[in-house]
Amino acid sequence: MSKIDPSFAEEIKKYGAEDFKACFNCGNCTAICQLSEKDASFPRMMVRYGMLGLKNEILKSKEPWLCYSCGDCSETCPRQADPGHYMAALRKYIIARQEPSGITRLLFTSNPFAIVFTLLLAVALGFFLFTLKPGLPVSRWLFTWMPFSVIHDLGMIIFIFTGFMIVSGIFNMTRNLKKGPETSSKKKISAWKAFQCVISEMATMKRYQNCDTEEDSFWKGKPFCLKPWFVHWSIMWGFIGLLFATILDFLFKDPSTSIWWPSRVLGTLTGILLVYGTSLALYYRIVRITKTYSETRLADWTFLGFLWIAGITGFWLELAVTFSAANNLNLVVFTIHTIISMELVLLFAFSKFAHAVYRPLALYYYFHSNESGN
Amino acid sequence: MEEPTEKKRIGVYICHCGGNISDYVDVGQLREMMESEENVVISKDVMFACADSNQKQMVKDIQEMKLDGIVVASCSPKLHLHTFRNVASRAGLNPYNYVQVNVREQCSWAHSDQPEQASYKAAGLIRAGIHRVVYSEALENIRISTQKSVLIIGAGVAGMKSALDLAHMGDEVYLIEKEPQPGGLVAGKGKVFPTGEKGSELVERLLAEIKKSGKIKLFTSASIEKISGSIGNFRSTIKTGDENPETLTLTTGAIMVATGAEPYTPAENEYGYHTVPGVITLTEFDELLKSCSAELKYAGKPVKSVSFIYCTGMRQSQGEHKYCSRICCTAAIHSSLVMHEKFGDVRAFHFYRDIRTYGKQEILFEKSSKSGDIYFMFQEKDPPVIEQGKNNIRIRVKDLLTRKTDLEIESDLVVLVTGMVPRRDSETVAQKLKIPVGNDRFFNEIHPKLRPVETVIDGVFLGGSCQGPRNISESVQSSSSAAAKIHAIIRKDTLELEPIVARINEEECTWCEKCAKVCEYDAIFQIETNGKIVASVNEAVCKGCGACTPVCPTNAINIALYTDEGIEGMIDGFIQQVQLKAAAKGEKAEEETAPSVEMKDFPQIWKSIMEEVREKPQTIPAIAAALSQPMELVTYHVMTMNRYFILEPAGIDDNDEYYLYKLKNKA
Repeated sequence: MSKIDPSFAEEIKKYGAEDFKACFNCGNCTAICQLSEKDASFPRMMVRYGMLGLKNEILKSKEPWLCYSCGDCSETCPRQADPGHYMAALRKYIIARQEPSGITRLLFTSNPFAIVFTLLLAVALGFFLFTLKPGLPVSRWLFTWMPFSVIHDLGMIIFIFTGFMIVSGIFNMTRNLKKGPETSSKKKISAWKAFQCVISEMATMKRYQNCDTEEDSFWKGKPFCLKPWFVHWSIMWGFIGLLFATILDFLFKDPSTSIWWPSRVLGTLTGILLVYGTSLALYYRIVRITKTYSETRLADWTFLGFLWIAGITGFWLELAVTFSAANNLNLVVFTIHTIISMELVLLFAFSKFAHAVYRPLALYYYFHSNESGN
Repeated sequence: MEEPTEKKRIGVYICHCGGNISDYVDVGQLREMMESEENVVISKDVMFACADSNQKQMVKDIQEMKLDGIVVASCSPKLHLHTFRNVASRAGLNPYNYVQVNVREQCSWAHSDQPEQASYKAAGLIRAGIHRVVYSEALENIRISTQKSVLIIGAGVAGMKSALDLAHMGDEVYLIEKEPQPGGLVAGKGKVFPTGEKGSELVERLLAEIKKSGKIKLFTSASIEKISGSIGNFRSTIKTGDENPETLTLTTGAIMVATGAEPYTPAENEYGYHTVPGVITLTEFDELLKSCSAELKYAGKPVKSVSFIYCTGMRQSQGEHKYCSRICCTAAIHSSLVMHEKFGDVRAFHFYRDIRTYGKQEILFEKSSKSGDIYFMFQEKDPPVIEQGKNNIRIRVKDLLTRKTDLEIESDLVVLVTGMVPRRDSETVAQKLKIPVGNDRFFNEIHPKLRPVETVIDGVFLGGSCQGPRNISESVQSSSSAAAKIHAIIRKDTLELEPIVARINEEECTWCEKCAKVCEYDAIFQIETNGKIVASVNEAVCKGCGACTPVCPTNAINIALYTDEGIEGMIDGFIQQVQLKAAAKGEKAEEETAPSVEMKDFPQIWKSIMEEVREKPQTIPAIAAALSQPMELVTYHVMTMNRYFILEPAGIDDNDEYYLYKLKNKA
């Protein structure tokens, strides 16, 4: 016996789902969705849970993470209940609920808080950066009222806190997904096979490619490199590539050496991918190219914007390093690049970025309990 | 009415029906045979009797050859009786001197496997027709004078509005109401959809107009004692007033029944009604909405959430009310919206089986969902369970929309959305007026689509929700339409009725009363003529059903057009010996070369059609295109082959436009 909670609709509204109450449960959205299946039926079922306020059912569901927001459902909805954006709002809600400190909830639901918090963090990171170059006047002034060790320890605490939040988010998510309903199909595939499926999905975006295949879809017939799945693919692999390149750089070489160094080559190539993907994604959102891209919330703008700035400044710095042009402007760019990149990393558990872990996790449980995974 | 004289100059036309008849019935031989019948002066066989050219020829024949009776042997009289009656009229012959014989449905189609026997039967039927026309009379429509006044029973919105309509057209109206106040169910309503006007305001406005019109006499606290008479002249005895009852008799040309319906009263403990505090009906809830001002309160307690249970007492697969009351979904949603508007933040939960907010009312449903009302769907076999909770009412439901999850909802008030049921006193009204009542106990019209406001009793019309559940505008639509129908009848001084009625032979009649007792329409009464008491027929009421004829011991009753001589003549004609030449096969083939080319084509086109559909099913347009034949021709033949079980439908084409046909499997 489940108790309903009608006030939940107001809560989910804060995450960006305005119209879903208009739903009259016709199920057209589920029918049109290329990814919805017998054992993973959405968006209608998710909308229903939202209307009734069955929060536990939502947290247990893999379905929000199986959706790539193609927008077919919203196009089809006879009541303009916009199930597509509702699914996006649900993902934000789930990210906020898995993170125990409550910061994420505030970041997603209060724009003033998000702006102030991000700016303050940027300033703090700026100061932190200056401490790495103790020769600068700013650094000397800073040390007069805050010793280096305090700054250092504070930084460590923040990193530990962030790391803890990421770990507990993953822990909560896993626990919730495990509580999810047992699927009707008896044949489970092995954990190893499910893991392979997740990797394969990340590498090929095969499921995402199934989206937007309707005859009258805007993307039908457009070159693959402009399609949303490819944009997503290039941002994802761009970022992963850069992450590896940075780690390799950090471990094996001084960043100021040759541009042909293998890790540098990797960084350049994946950097191009990242900038390409984020530029297109931002462009699509700015011109509102389809209904899916028509509603962008602050959390979406900051996440995409930060990735884009990090990419652009990264290239600037690469050029500056190649031509050995050390001047104040390049120093400012370097500062921006570092602050933005640090914000992305620090806010991982508190932003849309967390989907990079939650989606594969949900996919894993989806494949693991589903014979159609392969 | 003239004394019947035997007809001596009869014309007989036998129709081929383009092969439908002539492929099986030997039309040629029958034509020859009828030529030699007594009294027949002309006998013809024609390709299509109903064709314009043949109709013209018939008119010419009747006039030139001075025919006094005609027989057409063709299809069912359902199809062309009036066509040929009109032919007779145009030629100056009384239409009742025409007889139609059905040799298609009753002969060629029914006995296509035994064509020879079909011909024998056709011969008998045609002879019977000839004998019948010999005794046919020239009948004239019955004319009766009419009163230019109307009695309307029930002064709800339907009755009041139609009273105004009739008054505006200049008719005298007597509007009678059982209750002390007019207005019916609407008088008690608050704001109504879609105007937002209050029900009481609506009634007041109508009442003011009624008073102003000067042609409407309104009687309240009135009841009907007795109704007699018939269309044009109904006599109704009315009792008015409670304290000093007065009886008066009204004579009116027509009667409109607008007695309305009443809301269903839930059974004791149905969804906790009368057993769980806070369970009320929609009518009671509407009253509550009207009476509360600042805050919604029930029994002194503030109401923060309301649950509506739809279809209460309606759509019962095992109960009395099988129908959908169709107005209640909208009524409940409307009340819920009125509640939001007046009292702000009160939650509404709707437990429904199906939402039927048809037409513009759909907007209300959408508005309600958008305002955050939550809908739960249940099945008849799993109704919501209502229980008394600690501080409120607990409702448990297996929600169909959430994979039948068991849900628990707490609510301060439960509103049973009850439908409309026939009034408890509707039986009495029905008995007094003799109007038929359906299984659902609502009054029945003649035909729900084509004659929706007329009853089988001429001059008695229906309006509003006495016919079934209706909202205000639908009630007014039907009663206004009945008003128009009524006015069309009573505006003329006289009206014409079909002459097929019972007739009394006063010399033979001994007034044994047997006929009056069997008459379902009370059309027979006693009169005194020449010092003798005999039966007499009210021609305006008699339907010509014939129930009285067989019970008459002295054989004094005859039904016009179905006289004893006529019927006996038909039997004589039918049992005569029929001599048909056995149609040798070669001979028949020779005959087929005769008059028309199309005749010969029929078997050929059938073969072609069969070839077309042999491989795979085809649509009619595809066959027509393949054979380069007009679509009408192909349609005709495919339909005929379908009827003959040569072809059968095989689904519909990809565009959902035309049926596919294939050869019927002879298993």
